[in-house]
Amino acid sequence: MEPIEIGLIVSAGMLVLVILGMRVAFAAGLAGLVGLVWIFWAKRGYDSEQFVWALTVAVKTAGQVPHSKVSSQALSLIPTFILIGYLAYYAGLTKALFEAAKRWLAWVPGGLAVSTVFATAGFAAVSGASVATSAVFARIAIPEMLAIGYDKRFAAGVVAAGGTLASLIPPSAILVIYAIIVEQDVGKLLLAGFIPGVFSAIIYAMLIIGMAMTIKGFGPPVSGFTWRERFASLPPALPIVIVVFTIIFFVYNPFGGDAFGTPTEGGAIGAFVVFVMAVWHGMRWSELKDSLMETAKLTVMIFTIIWGVLIYVRFLGFAQLPDAFSNWITSLTVSPMLILVCILLAYAVLGMFMDAIGMLLLTLPVVYPAVMALNGGELVSAADSTFGMSGPMCAIWFGILVVKMAEFCLITPPIGLNCFVVAGVRDDLTVQDVFRGVTPFFLADAATIALLVAFPAIVLWLPSQA
Amino acid sequence: MAGSALLLSDDSTLSKIDQSLNKVEAFLALLSGLAVFVLMLLAVFSVSGRNFFNQPLPGYVDWIEQAMPLIAFMGIAYVQRNGGHIRMDMVVGALRGRPLYLVEIITTLAILILMILLVWGTWAHFLRSFDFSAIMWSRDSSMDIALPIWPAKLLAPVAFFTLCLRLVLQIWAYGRAFIRNDETPIAVPLIADAAAQAAEEAGHVSGHDT
Amino acid sequence: VEWNVSVWGKRRAFTEHVEKLAELVKEKSGGDFTLNISYGGLSKNRENLDGISIGAFEMAQFCAGYHRDKNPSITVLELPFLGVSSLEQEIELSMAVYNHPAVKDDLSRWNATLLMPSPLPQYNIVGIGDAPKSLEEFKGLTVRATGGIGAAMKTIGAVPTSMSATEVRQAMDSGVVKAVSFAPHAHMSFGTIENAKWWTTNLNPGTVNCPVVVNTDALDSLSDKNREALLGSVDESLAHYVDYYNNKTMKAWGPALEERGIEKITFTDDQIASFKEAAAAPAAKAWIEDNTANGLPAQELYDLVTGMIAAKK
Ligand code: NA
Ligand code: NA
Repeated sequence: MEPIEIGLIVSAGMLVLVILGMRVAFAAGLAGLVGLVWIFWAKRGYDSEQFVWALTVAVKTAGQVPHSKVSSQALSLIPTFILIGYLAYYAGLTKALFEAAKRWLAWVPGGLAVSTVFATAGFAAVSGASVATSAVFARIAIPEMLAIGYDKRFAAGVVAAGGTLASLIPPSAILVIYAIIVEQDVGKLLLAGFIPGVFSAIIYAMLIIGMAMTIKGFGPPVSGFTWRERFASLPPALPIVIVVFTIIFFVYNPFGGDAFGTPTEGGAIGAFVVFVMAVWHGMRWSELKDSLMETAKLTVMIFTIIWGVLIYVRFLGFAQLPDAFSNWITSLTVSPMLILVCILLAYAVLGMFMDAIGMLLLTLPVVYPAVMALNGGELVSAADSTFGMSGPMCAIWFGILVVKMAEFCLITPPIGLNCFVVAGVRDDLTVQDVFRGVTPFFLADAATIALLVAFPAIVLWLPSQA
Repeated sequence: MAGSALLLSDDSTLSKIDQSLNKVEAFLALLSGLAVFVLMLLAVFSVSGRNFFNQPLPGYVDWIEQAMPLIAFMGIAYVQRNGGHIRMDMVVGALRGRPLYLVEIITTLAILILMILLVWGTWAHFLRSFDFSAIMWSRDSSMDIALPIWPAKLLAPVAFFTLCLRLVLQIWAYGRAFIRNDETPIAVPLIADAAAQAAEEAGHVSGHDT
Repeated sequence: VEWNVSVWGKRRAFTEHVEKLAELVKEKSGGDFTLNISYGGLSKNRENLDGISIGAFEMAQFCAGYHRDKNPSITVLELPFLGVSSLEQEIELSMAVYNHPAVKDDLSRWNATLLMPSPLPQYNIVGIGDAPKSLEEFKGLTVRATGGIGAAMKTIGAVPTSMSATEVRQAMDSGVVKAVSFAPHAHMSFGTIENAKWWTTNLNPGTVNCPVVVNTDALDSLSDKNREALLGSVDESLAHYVDYYNNKTMKAWGPALEERGIEKITFTDDQIASFKEAAAAPAAKAWIEDNTANGLPAQELYDLVTGMIAAKK
């Protein structure tokens, strides 16, 4: 049997295990391991005496992956970006942001939901992890929405969708992971996420206002805040600006000098600033311990997916699947734009069954070179390219599109991490409830992605100024 | 708390072992969390050293690479106990009673097989970096300040071994529930609907363990 | 027979001998023996020796400085200021070291047989920010420099901060390192010159040693014809490599720097001499002590290398 056929069969087997409810990280790891055994055994002609050899080599090959892939300086930003989210909760920053957004914006139709969206967008500027953002806002925003009569499912949906903004608006763990996989400039990618992130927030808000004006019994607007109350809400939210500036200087120095350090370090320094604020705000050891445990749980879960999927990716490498796919894509004779749209659709489908980081790790080694080739190669100039942008710009544009797709998969059933987390925080909500509540936001995301594809300038204007 | 699942307990041996094991697992998870905290402090040191004293922290990257396995692996059994490793619950969510326990036994057994093999594989990876006769027992060191890498590599089989113990316990718990045809099994995370139902019946008192 | 070969990065001057070897082996064996080259799909570059020892693939390239404890014997070739002047000489020295019994023994722990070097010219440094005009100005500079070059940079107060070649661009763009020591081809293929401001023309602190190895069992199990096809192609592959490096890479290097307006920093002979004095002897002494303690005939290896260089002068 050809390695590629083995690759396809094993992939199908993995899908069955995932559907049966095997934890995704382990299903990927097991599929990868079985695939490796198969490949090595095939190499020795399925000789029964050679099975033990094949098993040994496969197990030892897979056994390298967890330590080797996890001990990376670049990936160290995942835990610190998650930690920021939990510490900010105890520093009172989330509450202050939500309060300010409420006093300024809640007078519009669907006001409290709109306020939640913009509060999560503001929080996104200090949090690098979507899941952590949803987790902390579920504790603050949902109770208030329920108190004034919002449907509990919709309230949960707003928080789950709002959380996804954290991965577009810098800092963003997932954008950095993209940059690492495709070896592109992290700073420019992070800058590029800003406008699409704000843009997504505005589209979410428009959707909510539209729903509030057409649906009867939707949550009422909240008015009556005086200007004095509005301005009074700003100072408590101000510390967030300090954190935002701290992080920005690590990504990109606006005064034209060198950045102060890596985004990774920026995340850690940002976490430290928030930690100091939280202590100032009265955080005790038990609360710190709580944030550390929450951070550990989320981090361990994400890293387990990372090494599990990478065992599978290692197997794909031995099965030579990436080369085969890239050759196939570039040999197609249909329009490149159609291929790009198909790739994005494939991400939407795959995203239903995968988590965001796992999906990027799995697909980018295969898809990214193909997309770059479609545009005319890594070094192509804007004039000679298919999509009208230079190689590095195409890498940024595609990165933002893929990350937006990855965010989309955080709220799509059956595996939508943000929805799981929101349901986990609230005892009165099942995962199904949250999935139902988040459904309208699929429309908003589809609109956002279509606009980003049609008008790449939304993505590329800011990084091209840097 | 986010992602924490409902686990029921009783006075059986199984439940007692579950709770003792959980103490160890929670401690290891706390180590993961503390390592994140240390990582944060390390960055503060490194950045302030570099930007204010023109004295970067030597081996900064080496130390991070040593800390990452601690962060990434140690809590793995704790997360498994609380059902925190994500999965699709369409099929299991629709099942009740024996068919559910059977599917859970199959998938948990599959994880156990994988993890036993990976204990072997990661142990072999550790052994290749370890040599009793070498200086600091090291046969593999970091690039800048030559830290021995074997301690970090050893963390993987250790953490994976604790996960194996947890998996054996879960298979036991599902097996017990299967044989006795229990309505609500103990010592395993209940899936969303069942959890909500159980919580309601119990009035949020017994066994809501976080 | 099909062999898997694990290398990393993209196809570049540094991998041309492997590509040529694959071509020659296929041709000489009449298509019976093929080398299947994978750029990063089979292993992380720092774990290529592990993969060879496991038997996951049959051939691999790695750099000694990535993991000195895995291959202490060949790090002798990475000592600073050895004074190697050409790629041809680098090949000659490497082959002499590779054929030393103690070195063969060292690599046999990994079930590996050294096949050929990937000779590199002297490293020099590309950097961002203000260029160091004197050796004093290297103090506190974070520089990506592995092995002996890293040790040499430390003697003048720089702070070696290493990562695999594939991560260097990120580290530089984001300020983890301000400077990177590489051979010219790597500065071009890993993009370190894209945002760089300066380049040292004559620091020449040394180079790294990156051998290509094969799994010993796999080598032994080859038919005589196939083994001859493999071993008999090494010289021609290396000749192709040297030609490619000298005539393609080095020709592109000057224009590449000019195109990007990168400032060329040249140090005076006195400055270089004092750098060498500070770095070379202590590094060699430390290397010999450590490796003698680890049971290697370190002095003998050091004398072998320095003796051959002296004889050439
Ligand atoms: Na963010
Ligand atoms: Na999903």
